[in-house]
Formats: sequence, structure tokens, C-alpha cells
Amino acid sequence: MSTVIPDVALIDNSEERAPLVLVLDCSGSMQEENKIQLLNDGLKALAADLKADPIAARCGRVLVVSFGGDSNVEIMGDWTDAMDFTPPSLLAGGLTPLGAAMRCALDEVESQKAQMRSAGVSYKRPIIMLLSDGEPTDEWRQVAAECKSAETAHKVNIMAIGIGDQANRETLGHFSNKGALSLSGLKFKELFIWLSRSIRAVSRAPAGGTVQLNPVDSWAQMSI
Amino acid sequence: MWRVFSASATGKRNLEQGAPGQDANHCVVKDDVLVAVVCDGAGSVPEGRTGAEFVARALAEQLSSALRADRRPPEIQADSSACLEASIRSAIETVRGRLAELAASRQLTLHDFSCTLVGCVASPGGGSLFHIGDGFAIQQGATGDSVLSRPENGEFADETYFVTDENWNDHLRLTPLPAPERGCVIGLMSDGTAPFAVNRARSGFFRPFIDPIAAFLRETTAPKGNEALRNLLESPQACEISSDDKTLLLAFVV
Repeated sequence: MSTVIPDVALIDNSEERAPLVLVLDCSGSMQEENKIQLLNDGLKALAADLKADPIAARCGRVLVVSFGGDSNVEIMGDWTDAMDFTPPSLLAGGLTPLGAAMRCALDEVESQKAQMRSAGVSYKRPIIMLLSDGEPTDEWRQVAAECKSAETAHKVNIMAIGIGDQANRETLGHFSNKGALSLSGLKFKELFIWLSRSIRAVSRAPAGGTVQLNPVDSWAQMSI
Repeated sequence: MWRVFSASATGKRNLEQGAPGQDANHCVVKDDVLVAVVCDGAGSVPEGRTGAEFVARALAEQLSSALRADRRPPEIQADSSACLEASIRSAIETVRGRLAELAASRQLTLHDFSCTLVGCVASPGGGSLFHIGDGFAIQQGATGDSVLSRPENGEFADETYFVTDENWNDHLRLTPLPAPERGCVIGLMSDGTAPFAVNRARSGFFRPFIDPIAAFLRETTAPKGNEALRNLLESPQACEISSDDKTLLLAFVV
């Protein structure tokens, strides 16, 4: 009779990680139209949808960077595996230091990559998703140029998304080679479900390949 | 003071090609000093398996007897690691020389016997991990703190370094080991085992993997424990995760 050791967990711990940084506008205008609450609900939907998929739950790595207040950029907690991700409760108020927030996101992506490399953990190209409903109130052009060149160098994918009519889509478009998209009708939840499905797809993609993401028409507004 | 269990299982890739497993392991315990070696023969050379078997056995024996001849154990201390390092380098040099002779006698070269190397010297006063190429070594203390030796790969994921390389000295990595207390476990493994034996942060054993194994092995005999380890490495779940050959050597302080 063959001897079997009971209760041993056999799981592949070497799967590639899919890092995601959410750069979220928490300036005063986010209080209007209940936007900050809708954003918080969207984050909860993201966390739940990532956790519902075993591969995305293991592979996703999430960091939230918020900006607002008295020109504050705040890293909300540490990088966490999607399976352990508890969304922060964001409060709105103050300015829109978007440039500094994107600088922070770029730095965090690089230091997280360095950390994973030194531990021998492999990873997919990180995604930075920027969400803003206004205009930067700090210096942003230099950072925007760095974001584009980081994309060109295949270091990161950046999605820049404007919320509502007041968002300056032209400015946001400078942060990504793909330009900016507009969130239609405050469909935060649809946006974050779409993002979760994108992370699911990225988690399953073979190393070095490309991924076809779902169409964005569940949440994006196209200019005609 | 040591209880050692080990198994090497042939992976799906070699089974499908009718090829033998390329992994080997060997350990020697003398005067409370454990010397253990795991080797993974390169699949791309004709004698990878022979190289792995030769190096694992010869190096464990050679290093163990060299340490005894130097009358160093059981006084090996982590802080006298310079002496220990010299012993390890010299033992590898000797074994490489003997393997080169074997190669020459068959009109082959050292390169034809390419294999990686991950091993340990562990004594009551401390010791060292030694490592060339991929594979993984972990000493997990009684409180769960771990000392690790991680794999070194080349530019591409499937490229690594071998003890048979000309410049092996540049790629030999030594990691001092603290004195092992009761409840401590040392694990050596080939790269086929690491994906499920090591945790996601690559900072130690995956506890839901190692804890049940440790509990089981504590209560069993060596032949039964070795058989159980082999069954685990050959299980469909393990084969699903990695199609490589898989070796796991576990040494418990009792």
C-alpha cells in the first residue's frame, strides 16, 4: 500500500504577479454628485471581483495612491495580494496634486519590481490606472512625459480616465500614449469590474505575450 | 541529532520521452554533522544524470570526510565561515577533478556532465549553505524564521549555472547557517519542487505544504517517510504544477 501524507497543500506559488496601482483623485470636487462614495463602492466591487477568481486573487498585487487635501499624496497601506486587498475608505477634500501622485506611482512600480526581482518573483507589466475629475494643481508636464516614456520602454501600462464633464481630458491624455478615456455617467462600478476582468486576463496570459482586453463600452464615453 | 528524509522523482517531461530523471541527492551524517547535496543534471547534455549522481554522492562524502580530517566538527561555528568556505571550495574542486577524469576516460568533457548544486553543512554550532545555479535551500528555525539560498538564473529563465562550468567559483554562493535548534528543519530542493514548496514571497517554506509533511515524518520511519515523500513528488497535483524532475531532502533536528 502506498504511503500518502495527508492534508499537504500543493499549489503553484511561482505564478507571475500582475501589479496594479490605482491613482485616485480625492480632491474637493469629488464630494459633488456623491462621486467619492461611488468611487469607494467601485473599489469594493473591484476587491470582490478579484477575490472571486482564484488566479487573479493569487496573482494580482494592488496599491492605492490617493491625492487631494493640502496637496497631499498618500499611499494607502502597502502593496497587497488581491486575495488580501481591503479597499480604503477615501474622503474627498482639497487640491489636485496629480503630478506628484503619478510620480509616486511610477516610483512605487519600480521599487515593487526591484523587490520582486530580488526575491526571484516574476511579474507582468504593471498597470497604473489614473482617475481624476479635474485639473492638476501642481506641476505635471515633466511627470507626464516620464509616464509616456516609461510606457514606450514597456515598463508600465497607463490608463488615464477622466470623471465627468469637469475633467480635463486633454491634460490627462498627456500621461499615456493611448490618450485618456472618459467615464460615462459615473459608472465607477462598471469601470472597476472591467478592470478586474482585465487583471484576470493579464494573470492568465503567457509570459511576454499580449492580452486582448474586453471592450470598454460598459463604462467609457466616446467622443463623436 | 538529525533525521533525514529524501526523494527524487522523475518529471512528466522525462517520463514522456522515456528518459530517466536527472536529479540526485545524497547525505552523510557523522558526529552530528550533516552534509547533504542535491544536484539537478542538465537535460541538454548527454550525461546530466550521471553528473548529478556523481557530484551529489562524491561531494557529500568528500566534504564530510574533509571536515572530520580537519577535526573541525563539532566546533564548526557560523563565524568561522572562512575556514568552512575554504573546505567547501576545496571539496568541490576535488570532486570536479574526479569527474573530469571520469569524463576523459569516456572521451567526454566536464560539460557533458553538467549539473547544478545545492547543499548544506550543518553542525550543532552552525554551518553553511552552498549553491551553484537553480534549486532552493531553506533552514527554517523553530520560530519560523528562515535562512535561504535562492536560485541564480542566467539572463533567460531556462538558463542557469553548473558546478561543471569553467567559472563555477564565480557562481558558488555561500550562506552562513545559525546553530540549528530543536524543531529546526533544513530543506534542499531542485527547481521542479520549489514552485510548491516555497511560499509566494519566496521568503521560506510554504507552510501549508511543509507543516503537514513535518508532522507526518516526525511519527514515521525513514523508509516509510522516503516513500511518502516520493509519492508526494510523483502525485498528479505536483506533476500538474511542474513537469520537471523533483527532489526534496528534509533534515530535522531532533
